[in-house]
Amino acid sequence: MRLELKNIDKSFGEKQVLKGVSFTAESGKAFGLLGRNGAGKTTSIRILMNVFPANSGEVLVDGSPIDYGKIKIGYLPEERGLYPKKLIIDQLTYFAELKGMEKKEAVKAVDFWLDRLDMTEYRNKRLDTLSKGNQQKIQLVTALAHDPQIVILDEPFSGLDPVNAILLKDVVKEQISKGKIVLFSSHQMSYIEEFCDSIAIINAGRVALHGDLYDIKRNYPRDRLVVHTTKPQQIREDFGSACTDGENGALMIQLADPGEKNAVMKRLVENFDIDEVKVFEPSLNDIFVQYAGEQV
Amino acid sequence: MKQFGTILKFELRGYMKNKVFVGTTIFMVIAIAIAMFIPNITAMFKSEDGAKDKSVMLIYAQDGELADLVRQYFEPAFPDYEVKLADGTLEDVKAQITAGSAECAFAMDSASSYTYYVNNLTMYDSNTAAAETLLKEVCRVTAMLQYGLSPEQAEKVMSVEIESNVTALGKDQGQNFLYTYIMIMALYMVILLYGQMVATNVASEKSSRAMEVLVTSAKPSSMMFGKVLASCIAGLIQLVAVFGSALVFYNLNKAAWGDNRIIASIFNIPVNLFIYMLVYFVLGFLIYAFLYGAIGSTASKLEDINTSVMPITFLFIIAFMVVMMSMTSGNTDNTLMKVCSFIPFTSPMAMFTRICMSTVPWHEIALSIVILIGSTVGVGFLSAKIYSVGVLLYGTTPKIGSIIKAVWKA
Repeated sequence: MRLELKNIDKSFGEKQVLKGVSFTAESGKAFGLLGRNGAGKTTSIRILMNVFPANSGEVLVDGSPIDYGKIKIGYLPEERGLYPKKLIIDQLTYFAELKGMEKKEAVKAVDFWLDRLDMTEYRNKRLDTLSKGNQQKIQLVTALAHDPQIVILDEPFSGLDPVNAILLKDVVKEQISKGKIVLFSSHQMSYIEEFCDSIAIINAGRVALHGDLYDIKRNYPRDRLVVHTTKPQQIREDFGSACTDGENGALMIQLADPGEKNAVMKRLVENFDIDEVKVFEPSLNDIFVQYAGEQV
Repeated sequence: MKQFGTILKFELRGYMKNKVFVGTTIFMVIAIAIAMFIPNITAMFKSEDGAKDKSVMLIYAQDGELADLVRQYFEPAFPDYEVKLADGTLEDVKAQITAGSAECAFAMDSASSYTYYVNNLTMYDSNTAAAETLLKEVCRVTAMLQYGLSPEQAEKVMSVEIESNVTALGKDQGQNFLYTYIMIMALYMVILLYGQMVATNVASEKSSRAMEVLVTSAKPSSMMFGKVLASCIAGLIQLVAVFGSALVFYNLNKAAWGDNRIIASIFNIPVNLFIYMLVYFVLGFLIYAFLYGAIGSTASKLEDINTSVMPITFLFIIAFMVVMMSMTSGNTDNTLMKVCSFIPFTSPMAMFTRICMSTVPWHEIALSIVILIGSTVGVGFLSAKIYSVGVLLYGTTPKIGSIIKAVWKA
């Protein structure tokens, strides 16, 4: 399955929030939707979920307009919150029923997910008696219980302790391997890098960058080397201004031409005490800052 | 449709599990029960007290014959008093009253002139009014005797009675006033109470951010209609509980109420009036509840609800005042009422009042109901629209203008 947003425009009053947003996500893969606060991520997600219509543009599944009666979407909103005073089983069943499940299967699915997330003991408790992290896990059930084809997770890892983060990672991997479209939105780049094969960076209502994460990284000019060494001083003297300090005590060597990469590597290994030398690839963080950091 | 049913059930269960809702219902049923048992309770106290504690009314006159004549007339006319002739002087009489051994006294100068002495004159003291009627009779009889009529003849003249029958060909306002009053009061209370509940319900979903999941799971129209209908059903359940228990307790105490016409007539409401009452009640409730729901969706904090709902509450109170004033004036067919009985926001009260208290042609009733149903559905969908826009607006409460713009575009 292929989900496609095509040329989406959206204005609220005078303010144009989305300007021709397009991106594609495929099943069996995770897709990262990135952008700074207020860039238009949530608006894009809401249009995708048919909360309100776009002024122009289309949401397509496998090339034809999405049928919300058939395609089920699960959504974990960034602004978390359910009914604080109601029993967990009651409200989770209610949400699953709203998404079209029969009462019985809804209860069954909810119980399955409570068990999967180690939350069964809270089944008959009121939501406001739970800790924040546990409330978040409960909220995750509303996104997954009805077995949606598209799962949208907005900042899924915020507020989770490391153990719960691992649990959630497993769940997400499971969803991806089941062939679902998993759409991530997060500011925690490490998670996006870990899961997402392709990304779109939205900046001020436009898609600033879109594509396969591996390709994006590869397309950066391969003209810098990262060098780990025990004797940095000798290299600094040898390379002069081409050598600067990189991250984590590494040295960064700027090449005059990407073509001299192998020659320089060889020279380094032969002449100096080298632990590791590799071509510099930008982290997602660097890419994000570069594309989303410009003007808002 | 399935979604609507799910929401309706969920919301209704919310009401049934709400401690405040259940508590007030039980409280009202108990209050009604006590009210209905009042005649039995007072009867219990009365039988214990007996007749010995009647207050004393003194008759004082220089002329002993006059005093005795007055006493003869007063005794049967004041059954709650022990009517006695006063001994001693006027000062003694006053002393007895201040001391409390007598409650009041009539000091007669002549049959047509007296002074009434009482310790504390209460607001509802009708003794002088009654005494004057009696004294007029005394004077007339004395005069007739003086002009030579025999006591029997005088008696005959005094006891002439006029026979009369009143048949209301239209409506009996006195009788139906009560139904109108009950219906309008019930509607007033229920709309203000439940309207606020609907608004709070929507606003709390918004402030708890449950809305984020709800708007992506259910259609706004299902949400709005589900919520409002659930509150309407909850309101009706509460009313049925209260009036139903009133009926049960009334029947338990029927003997004690005896021939209390007011109470009896409440429970003997004509079927057609009852049906009109139900129709106008439900529609009136719904149209206002939709408005309250829409307003609730535009508030971003629960604290804002009270100020946000003010315009609707004013609208409703104005409608209430118009109807109440026309009702008490007795002229329910004035132009204002006629106009109001077709405007959807006032017609539930205005038209029902007119149906009860005057004769309204059937086509006017039909027109009013059709307009009301149409606008209730219209307001329902409009409020669903406002809801779908309003629930996603956080921050400051949006201005009416910007909501209208957003709804127009959506």
